[in-house]
Amino acid sequence: MKLPTRMRGSGPDAHPGEDTGGWVPAGVRESWQQLPEPVRRLALPLALVALAFFYPKYAESLPGAFPGVGTLVIMIVYTMMAVGLNIVVGYAGLLDLGYVAFYAAGAYTAAWFASLQFEQVSFHFGSVGISQEAVGIHISVWLILLIAGAFTAIAGILIGLPTLRLRGDYLAIVTLGFGEIIPQFVRNGDNIFGFDLTHGTFGISPIDSPGFGTTLEDAIGVPASFQQSFDRAQWFYWAALALLLVTVFCSVRLRDSRLGRAWIAIREDETAAAAMGIPLMRTKTWAYAIGAFFGGIAGAYYATFKSGAFPSDFFFNFSVFLLCMVILGGMGSVWGVVLGGLVLSYLDQEGLAKLGNSVSEVIGRQIDVPKYNFGVYGLIIVLMMLFRPTGLIPERRRKKELAEGVHDESLYDASA
Amino acid sequence: MAEQSGNVVLSLEDVHTYYGSIHALKGVSLEVREGEIVTLIGANGAGKSTTLRSINGLNHPREGAIRFQGREITKDPAHAIVKSGIAQSPEGRRLFPRMSVLENLEMGAFQREDRTTFKEDVDRVFELFPRLAERRNQKAGTMSGGEQQMCAIGRALMARPKLLLLDEPSMGLAPIFVEKIFEIVREINAQGTPILLVEQNALMALDAASRGYVLETGRIALEGPAKDLRENEQVRKTYLGEG
Repeated sequence: MKLPTRMRGSGPDAHPGEDTGGWVPAGVRESWQQLPEPVRRLALPLALVALAFFYPKYAESLPGAFPGVGTLVIMIVYTMMAVGLNIVVGYAGLLDLGYVAFYAAGAYTAAWFASLQFEQVSFHFGSVGISQEAVGIHISVWLILLIAGAFTAIAGILIGLPTLRLRGDYLAIVTLGFGEIIPQFVRNGDNIFGFDLTHGTFGISPIDSPGFGTTLEDAIGVPASFQQSFDRAQWFYWAALALLLVTVFCSVRLRDSRLGRAWIAIREDETAAAAMGIPLMRTKTWAYAIGAFFGGIAGAYYATFKSGAFPSDFFFNFSVFLLCMVILGGMGSVWGVVLGGLVLSYLDQEGLAKLGNSVSEVIGRQIDVPKYNFGVYGLIIVLMMLFRPTGLIPERRRKKELAEGVHDESLYDASA
Repeated sequence: MAEQSGNVVLSLEDVHTYYGSIHALKGVSLEVREGEIVTLIGANGAGKSTTLRSINGLNHPREGAIRFQGREITKDPAHAIVKSGIAQSPEGRRLFPRMSVLENLEMGAFQREDRTTFKEDVDRVFELFPRLAERRNQKAGTMSGGEQQMCAIGRALMARPKLLLLDEPSMGLAPIFVEKIFEIVREINAQGTPILLVEQNALMALDAASRGYVLETGRIALEGPAKDLRENEQVRKTYLGEG
């Protein structure tokens, strides 16, 4: 197979795809190249995963600029949403400005099925850390993650069916509308013909915690309920990390699948894709549903971590924030989006505040940097577009797209 | 009109197609039979491409019927039509520019259920177009116009079509490539695939085809064996630039 030549190592054997810099001693480089291909390919991801896995163990000895474990949970959840959004925007090329709706759908699924909200009934199934006498529906949070994913995917299909017939800007406008409708609905859903579905602006709180139950706690020492455990953040972190890894894995596998190829074909040229026999509506709807699925799971998980779902979380600017992560990382590139997501969510959660403090110390005046967060993100995006329009870690294919210009004119709409 | 042997593969009966309120096809009827190359010639805006878009489901006719192998496909969605055996090389080629030649061919086989013969078909395409074999890993968008046209035809063949639609395969190509493309079109036809060929290059098209239709502002103005059309005074004047 011919790979693009991007050699930095000078030797004729230097593996073109590998970044063996000139500073690596020749001996080390050679023995590295003798390792079997899968080992070389997986070495970096595995090392990163291991580093991430043990983070709570060494977090305290790190300098202050590093995020705390609790912050990391939020960062990972946001990143997961960005990876989900990347399926819609990056793979299939459908500009979705209302992704926050899926986050809301996931969060409220968790709130309905694992809280005291529906006090008319009392239903328990595998829930942990709450009294068996408690009213409301209490289903095991692990199960709820799946339910939330499924529910959100269905919501994605329902939103997708009428909207995905539109192209480009029109699709963006309609998704923007749906992104506003859902929070509005949630805000006003406390009196639907007398029925309190969403508890209005107060939101639904508390939400049950994930956990392993008392049997497992006694047996192997894993916490019965994360929320009540002493190292709460650490357990939430590990579960979030596992969810993110599953999302990334699925995302990579999907990209290389037949469906993934169809998405990319639609992104490249919708009319040609239709002419190849790709069912446009079905393929786009799948992108929506799968993107929504991961957004829903992330939303539900975040709700259980915060132990609440509040309508004030679901503003339009969050959709834009997620979109910024995708653009910053590199549309269509899974690893890029993970990086972009971590960077922006870090800035959002801690980075800007810490930056603000250091700046204030230097110039001797108090400046509230987080207040200008969207200005900062906007600046980052503008700078990215100027200097690295393909993102931090560009997708191989997308790189070409921007270098050669996109032709996306279509004379007439293909209906399929 | 000379009666040809072979069954009717595709027939259009009084097809009316609109773009919004613009009446683009005003009752087009035509046939393609087994083993034929049928050409559709006409000036810009006569409705040649619209006829193809009506057939392949990208723009459904409002009135009239389209039958393929005896079955009505007038309102079938585009992907179902590809699946039933009509593949096309669209106007302007429309390759996936950032996919490699091989990936483009792969997309051509998208609707095929039987994927075991994929390799075989790629080899067949490479045999027809040795140039593509050399460029199999090159991004389609970086090739010359002629090579792209080859790739577009090859991509259509990957669907193992029972009818091949070619929309302006000679557009924008150097004369040497035009010759080459028409040679291959004949060869594909000789291997058993009927072809409906839309062309502005009426001379080349009528040379290659067995029958032809002349389209004028959404109506069939003339039809007959290609040989006769070639001799027709009006055709010679208007489309062949003679006399």
